[in-house]
Amino acid sequence: MEQMLENAWLIPLFPLIAFIVLVAIGKQLKQGAAYIGILATLASFVLSLFTFFERFRDGAETYFQPVEWFSIAGFDVIMGYEITQLNAMMLVIVSLVSLLVHIYSRGYMDQDERLPVFYQYLALFTFSMLGLVISPNLLQLYIFWELVGVCSFLLVGFYFYKPEARAAAKKAFIVTRIGDVGLFIAIILLFWWTGSFAYNDIFNAVENGNLESWQITLAAILIFIGAMGKSGQFPLHTWLPDAMEGPTPVSALIHAATMVAAGVYLVAATFDLFTASETALTVVAYVGGFTAIFAASIGLTQTDIKRILAYSTVSQLGYMMLALGAAAAVGYAASTFHLMTHAFFKALLFLAAGSVIHAVHTQDIFKMGGLWKEMKVTAWLFLIGCLAIAGIPPFSGFWSKEEILLAVYHAERFDLFWIAVITAFFTAFYMFRLFFVTFTGETKLQQKAHESPIVMTGPMMILGVLAVISGFINTPWNPVLSEWLTEGMEGSLHVEAPVWITVVAVIVSLAGIGLAWMMYGKGSLAQNWFSARVPLLYQLSYRKYYIDEIYDSVFVRPLNGLGKIVYLFDIYVVDGLVQLTARITGAIGQLGARMQNGQIQTYGVVTMIGLVLLIVGMAVAGGYFQ
Amino acid sequence: MMEFDLQRYLLTMIVLSPLLGILALLLTPRHRAGTVKLIGIVAAFIPLLLSLVMYVQFDLNQEEMQFIQQMEWINIPIPLSTGVGYLPIAYEVGVDGLSMPLVLLASLIAFLGAIASNTVSKRWKEFYIIYLVMEIGLLGVFMSLNLFLFFIFFELALIPMFFLIAIWGFMDREKAAIKFLIYNGVGSGIMLISFILLFIITMTLNIQEIASQFTDPLSQLNASDQYTFVTENMRMGLFIALLIAFGIKMPIVPFHTWMLKSYQESPFAMIMISSGIMIKMGAYGIIRLGVGFFPQWALDLAPMLALLGLINLLYGAVLALVQKDLKMVLAYSSVSHMGIVLLGIAAMNEVGFQGAIFQMVSHGLIAALLIYMIAVIYERTQTTTLRELGGLAGQMPFISGIFLAASLASLGLPGMSGFISEFQSFLGLFNSLPVYAAIGTLGIILTAVYMLRATLQTTFGPKQERFHDVVDARPIEVVPMAVLLALVILIGIHPAVLSDVVRATLQNLVPGIGG
Repeated sequence: MEQMLENAWLIPLFPLIAFIVLVAIGKQLKQGAAYIGILATLASFVLSLFTFFERFRDGAETYFQPVEWFSIAGFDVIMGYEITQLNAMMLVIVSLVSLLVHIYSRGYMDQDERLPVFYQYLALFTFSMLGLVISPNLLQLYIFWELVGVCSFLLVGFYFYKPEARAAAKKAFIVTRIGDVGLFIAIILLFWWTGSFAYNDIFNAVENGNLESWQITLAAILIFIGAMGKSGQFPLHTWLPDAMEGPTPVSALIHAATMVAAGVYLVAATFDLFTASETALTVVAYVGGFTAIFAASIGLTQTDIKRILAYSTVSQLGYMMLALGAAAAVGYAASTFHLMTHAFFKALLFLAAGSVIHAVHTQDIFKMGGLWKEMKVTAWLFLIGCLAIAGIPPFSGFWSKEEILLAVYHAERFDLFWIAVITAFFTAFYMFRLFFVTFTGETKLQQKAHESPIVMTGPMMILGVLAVISGFINTPWNPVLSEWLTEGMEGSLHVEAPVWITVVAVIVSLAGIGLAWMMYGKGSLAQNWFSARVPLLYQLSYRKYYIDEIYDSVFVRPLNGLGKIVYLFDIYVVDGLVQLTARITGAIGQLGARMQNGQIQTYGVVTMIGLVLLIVGMAVAGGYFQ
Repeated sequence: MMEFDLQRYLLTMIVLSPLLGILALLLTPRHRAGTVKLIGIVAAFIPLLLSLVMYVQFDLNQEEMQFIQQMEWINIPIPLSTGVGYLPIAYEVGVDGLSMPLVLLASLIAFLGAIASNTVSKRWKEFYIIYLVMEIGLLGVFMSLNLFLFFIFFELALIPMFFLIAIWGFMDREKAAIKFLIYNGVGSGIMLISFILLFIITMTLNIQEIASQFTDPLSQLNASDQYTFVTENMRMGLFIALLIAFGIKMPIVPFHTWMLKSYQESPFAMIMISSGIMIKMGAYGIIRLGVGFFPQWALDLAPMLALLGLINLLYGAVLALVQKDLKMVLAYSSVSHMGIVLLGIAAMNEVGFQGAIFQMVSHGLIAALLIYMIAVIYERTQTTTLRELGGLAGQMPFISGIFLAASLASLGLPGMSGFISEFQSFLGLFNSLPVYAAIGTLGIILTAVYMLRATLQTTFGPKQERFHDVVDARPIEVVPMAVLLALVILIGIHPAVLSDVVRATLQNLVPGIGG
């Protein structure tokens, strides 16, 4: 019984149809356009769910359906779709979060007259993301990879009249494209080395030893560069916080739950390649680890609610990369598990943040305060999200973060393990700093905030439930998900890790929350306690380590300067020489054609000169008529 | 009943069909602007229609030329020591997988250019007559099977272009036209000399005949003990001469500066023609004649071609980045994108050649669309200066949307033709010259940087008061936009429409594989 898998191509088709319909008649539908998108994603979600169950419960085989696309010089490029365990899980995550965001946006974007355009982009994104997930080969993945990128670009720049949005959209596209080029090269190299774009052929080539180890390492690292761009890993992380210029539901869907996780997904999907190269795995682990702690340390001092969440996303994606790189099959399971729980609680946090912004029309948390009384539902749900991300049992983040810590410790990457622990402390602190500043204390708002309508809080509640319970699918005593995801993979899932790790992890998180409470809740510790004592560190964190400024002066300005210099060269030297030639020609032309005028004569003269030059040239070359 | 031999006469019908329009225009009173323009547009539609017939009738499995028509044409008397000899010059046309798409592209761009020209505000009659003469040249170049015909059509395209720029251009049009003429004149001169030399060596003008004489190991030209033997230096000299002649047209840096001036001063429809199809004549010449006659030298000089391609790609991109005028961004962007054609050729394998052909067609469509969009924007705002533009998406969402789509196509977004072309070119080059290819991928980033800078500066940003009452696209304007964008997307998602056409011919083109 594989009907669902055979028909899995329908999953991305619904949003595509919605996109086409909305392009055609969206404008006429006005705010009703939302329902087209909602219906389509609902259909995708239901199908994804059935597909997932068919794989999960009935243990259906990986399904692959090839279609010929076009031929490159005799080689037939194949398109198609494939449902593996990982894909099946991703399908559910993407279509579910997308559905909830579609519903939520009906309320959030209600006042916007460009709502139909918004839903067009959302539908195109959903189509592309689902297409990305079911791609059976790297070329097809790359196509959807770029399409999700362009949707992200379009949605970041949705408020096109805002200069900040314009700059952010451009940055998002260009910075991720730098990574994309790595992936682009990897795809081409792997094609020439293995004769195929398909994952399976590439894995077989690796397994059969058809590739040299340097080739494997190079290809894996290039793929990872692509993943770094999409998943905002250092040093390509700078676009993601700026991408918060987009409407908040977009931040939830694209820049938290799904697209930015595509980098993690990519590494996971090509994991057989990575495991064949110790070097590549180490790179992944350290880049991930560094990004995790680096972004978390920036999150400590930010004041914009969305940017704090954005840095937290960067940091959590680093966590996933860290696990992938550090701990083989166990890390793979832990990482993809965390990808799932993170999708739910981070989408929740963003939607709740959106609910707050919707109510108070500012993003500066220090202009809010005391929202607990006015927005009970949002506040509770936000708290659940915070508890989940901080890793407090029994919330979902606890289980997945725990898995990662255990896996990294088990792999004896102790340096990375402690980085992860410190990051967990930072995470708990900045999330609860955000929570206390926003929801407790005295309000600094002029007018009263109102709770958002049910169309917005409804989706948040569903995510809230998932943020609480989704961890139970993979508990240490019954790791259903891990076992299923790593079916057929090498390496044992059985991890003997000391109990103290769990204890330490929880204590560290509680300490972070406690510190945040003392500084921002109860106020027993001055808010500037740290900033006054280590102003330099505070400035570094607040200014995001000046990375943007560094890039500006190392890349952007020199490139512009180079362009200007080269332009002068082009005008004065290249064209100047030509002008000179032309002038000499013209002088000769006037000599030769004194009685005639008009340009056609010049033309003839130039032709003659060309002739002479050519003959001289060939005489010099020595080849003239033997 | 006599069956009309369509196969045989189709190409001639295509290339001569603009004459119908010229005739009709000659009979139309000049003051009736509307009628004149309508005739011009309809006249340009006929070759397109016939080209579509050609596309449908094209035999995908045929490796050799199709739709061949050959006939005696003129006999040129030559004084010989034994009296007067006659040099017969034949009229011979045909297309294969390389030239057929370009004929189709030429007829399409010429038709859309005719529509875009309906804003011409003076001397419509002369304009459309000259325009249609030029179209004959554009169509003929790609179907010529001998050098004489090739040269005639080549000039038939260039000289009308000179007048179209000189008379209907912007302020500084005459200077631009002269520059256009001088450059292309030099190119044509070199081309003519090369052709004469080729003729003297091979005693034939037929392109295939020349190619087979040079490449056939048993031919007289390759017999080192014969007086007919052609040295390697001579071959290299000819190859380089052809490369320069066509390099000026293409344009290859440093021969590109004519293009800048003509982008600034030409009427928009002429820029559409120029970058949409005319510069492809250069690339076509390099493949058909340069590589076709001297495959060994093309192979040996492949690194040099790749280097030239890289220079075009990166030099053009860096310059496009700092331009203050939309048209100049486009001009340098064309230089940059033609670099990818060179890279595809330099790969010297089937994949790369397919990439080069795809890129010629794709750039033709995308460049024409982008320029048309700028024309439409200029008509409303009276400026193409980036600093003065901005925030147009509010007033004209449709135009801004298409413009954005066009620039996304230009920067190689998958799902559109630009990606497929770039991908194949790089795929080919990575196999033969991986280091050059790796450097070239920088171009992929730079293209995104300059395209987005220009596009977002134009359509995004705060709304501007002075553009308050501009209107969105009119129905007639939607036609070129829709057609071009649809084709860009069609090739992007269904590349087989082009790859099937190219497939059978491909191995004949690539050195070291076929003949």
